[in-house]
Amino acid sequence: MGSAGALRPKQPRNTWLTGAAAAVMLFLYAVARAIAPWSPKRGAGLVFGVAATVVIVFEMAYPLRRARARPLGTAQRWLQAHVYLGVLALLAVLIHTGFRAPGGLMGWSLLLLSAWTTVTGLVGVWLQKWLPAVMAEGLRVEALYERIPALVQHLVEEADALVVNASDALERFYTTEVRGRLAAVEPSWLYLLDVRAGRERALEPFRRMITFVDPEEKEIVNDLMTIRMEKMDLDVHYSLQGVLRRWLIVHVPPAALLMALLVLHILAWAVY
Amino acid sequence: MSDTSDRAALRQRYERRMQLMVPAEADLLARQALFAGIPEKARPKVIEKVRRYIHLVRFEEGDIVLREGEYSDSAYYVVEGGAEVVLTRESESRPLLRGGAHVPGAQRPGARPEAAAFIGRGAAGLSGTVMLSALPAELTTGNKTLGPGEIFGEIGALSRYPVSATVRARNPLTVLQIRLPGLRMLLASSKDFKKSVEERYRQRVLARHLRQVPLFARVEDAFLEDIKRRAELVSFEPGQVIAEEGSDADAFLLVVGGYVKVSVRAGSSDLALTYLRKGDYAGESALLLEDQWPFALQALEHVEVVKLTREMFRAVTAAYPDIEDELWSQAVARLKARGALKRNPVSSEYVQMAMETGLIHGESVLLIDLATCTRCDECVRGCADAHGGEPRFVREGQKYRRWLVPTACYQCTDPVCMIDCPTGAITRQVGTLEVTIDQPTCIGCSNCANRCPWGNIIMVEKDEKRADGKNVEVATKCDLCLTRPEGPACVQMCPHGSAVRISFKDLDRVTSTLT
Repeated sequence: MGSAGALRPKQPRNTWLTGAAAAVMLFLYAVARAIAPWSPKRGAGLVFGVAATVVIVFEMAYPLRRARARPLGTAQRWLQAHVYLGVLALLAVLIHTGFRAPGGLMGWSLLLLSAWTTVTGLVGVWLQKWLPAVMAEGLRVEALYERIPALVQHLVEEADALVVNASDALERFYTTEVRGRLAAVEPSWLYLLDVRAGRERALEPFRRMITFVDPEEKEIVNDLMTIRMEKMDLDVHYSLQGVLRRWLIVHVPPAALLMALLVLHILAWAVY
Repeated sequence: MSDTSDRAALRQRYERRMQLMVPAEADLLARQALFAGIPEKARPKVIEKVRRYIHLVRFEEGDIVLREGEYSDSAYYVVEGGAEVVLTRESESRPLLRGGAHVPGAQRPGARPEAAAFIGRGAAGLSGTVMLSALPAELTTGNKTLGPGEIFGEIGALSRYPVSATVRARNPLTVLQIRLPGLRMLLASSKDFKKSVEERYRQRVLARHLRQVPLFARVEDAFLEDIKRRAELVSFEPGQVIAEEGSDADAFLLVVGGYVKVSVRAGSSDLALTYLRKGDYAGESALLLEDQWPFALQALEHVEVVKLTREMFRAVTAAYPDIEDELWSQAVARLKARGALKRNPVSSEYVQMAMETGLIHGESVLLIDLATCTRCDECVRGCADAHGGEPRFVREGQKYRRWLVPTACYQCTDPVCMIDCPTGAITRQVGTLEVTIDQPTCIGCSNCANRCPWGNIIMVEKDEKRADGKNVEVATKCDLCLTRPEGPACVQMCPHGSAVRISFKDLDRVTSTLT
């Protein structure tokens, strides 16, 4: 799947339903606005504000899916609801404001946090669809993220064992050109652009070396080359699985802050 | 009694049993009638070869030798004393028995219809399956006594059906426990022994097995008796060719044990079309069309086949036009599949993979689509939540194209893990898929874990000390979240729908899911 392919929805029906709901919301907004001046504090403006709050509270309940998945069936349904309702929540917030710039710091904070949370969520959805597909297509090895450092260590040991009785030339080649690249996990952002980035260049020394060694050592060079490729696969896994785990940092804390500010916003509205 | 003392007592009994189990001496074996059928010249050599698979086991009065519903890989030959075969009345305890994977979901006691989607059994997968297990094959009800010179358990061991009756020591009992490889050696070496086993199988089991094959379900008893009398029973070694593509077809074959690969030649390669298992048959296309074998058949493991001659086959189709119709439908479907495979050879890839890896045994195999899996481990967390914090599978395993086969129990059709559990802790209830381990009864002997060919049973240390100061270990495995009405948590908790469970019985679904 290309990065563009990752934009295709998994459940097109949900996309259509969300689109339809958005159209209805905009229609209601247009009608309400035509009937009376728009205010977030009363009438339809307030209704949209309340609706946005309810949806945001539901969005915040996403971690409860493990214990309470039953009413919505599967975790997949929870995620689908989380994603699509999140988009509708942002639209409800915008309608609540009457598509006007907020008046104060609190208003701006709420609006920007809503937008940020939604956009980072959608970026996360895209990453979650794109990265697994490129990993499945481009890598031969599959590994658990937590075990990757140990697996790398294992590869080094395997490679060390291969050259124990090797010729001086091969041992020197291993020590100077190979071992250093095997010794530790080497994550790289480049892998986001191409999971096979740097592979040809990394294999070039092996191809050169294989022409110089004795026939009985060619097998060792081939094995070292395989180990190097597996190591690169592990590097890619470490980089991309790391991204899949860490993108939540830009999504969850702002969402928690949004929730806290929302509580203050509601209290302020109730008091004043 | 607490779980701890239960476990200690069970372990003590197991250790005592192991002490009572000694390798059989050649002299003792040579005296047994069991070996009389082997030509005298060859006898010492055969005994020497087979001896390592034979143990002399002693049982106290009342001890259970074989438990109804369990799987066994051994035959027992009575040397001294008496054994009592006890068959419970069907109405009494049938649902509590172990064994029996071949029952459609709707017929399963306590089945979870809402979980059907998670356990991967489409209706198509159930066609042609037979319920051969856990039925009273040899007796109706009541007890029977076996004395010196008599053998029991051989049919279950050879056919891998659950034991059909409990056998216990009537008085102090000494038996030769003959493990499956030894049993097979004996069958190959002694014509008399082979003949007697075949005869017993024919007399006691064959008619019942034939009756349970849908094809023969409507055949009259007298007709079935005739088939039973005249059918030939043939065994094949793993890898042995059963039929060559293009050779003359002279028989209809009904598989009663093991797996058979069905393949076609395409250029220099051999394309896997499908596989046959218990209750499946082959040969109908060639016999109906009066043609040669359109496929090659090869034994994937030890295979037991019932062979009907062309004449018997014709007699069946002449007497039962509806059977002939069914066979024609099957023949057309197979020939169509053969044509499709030849046009698109790549489609055989997953069938071939399933055969090579043993996935064909799986009734509910967990697969993860790596192209959509975000490696979030929600499946593992869901599993742990459902099992008191201890996950029952590892998200690591073989990768085939974009699919990962994690280290999770396949819930095999013939669960070899259930053979040799000394306490009966590992069970499968009649008509269910789930092979479960009762933790309080498990003594941590590792027999099941060692037997699982795929390492899908994991030994876990408990916070409980054994008498020798070491931590108690118990075997754990996936139980398909037996107590969750929603079905397996791994599938339900995957936010991306990447975790699926499929039965490799249902080849259509396997192919459509994986490709």
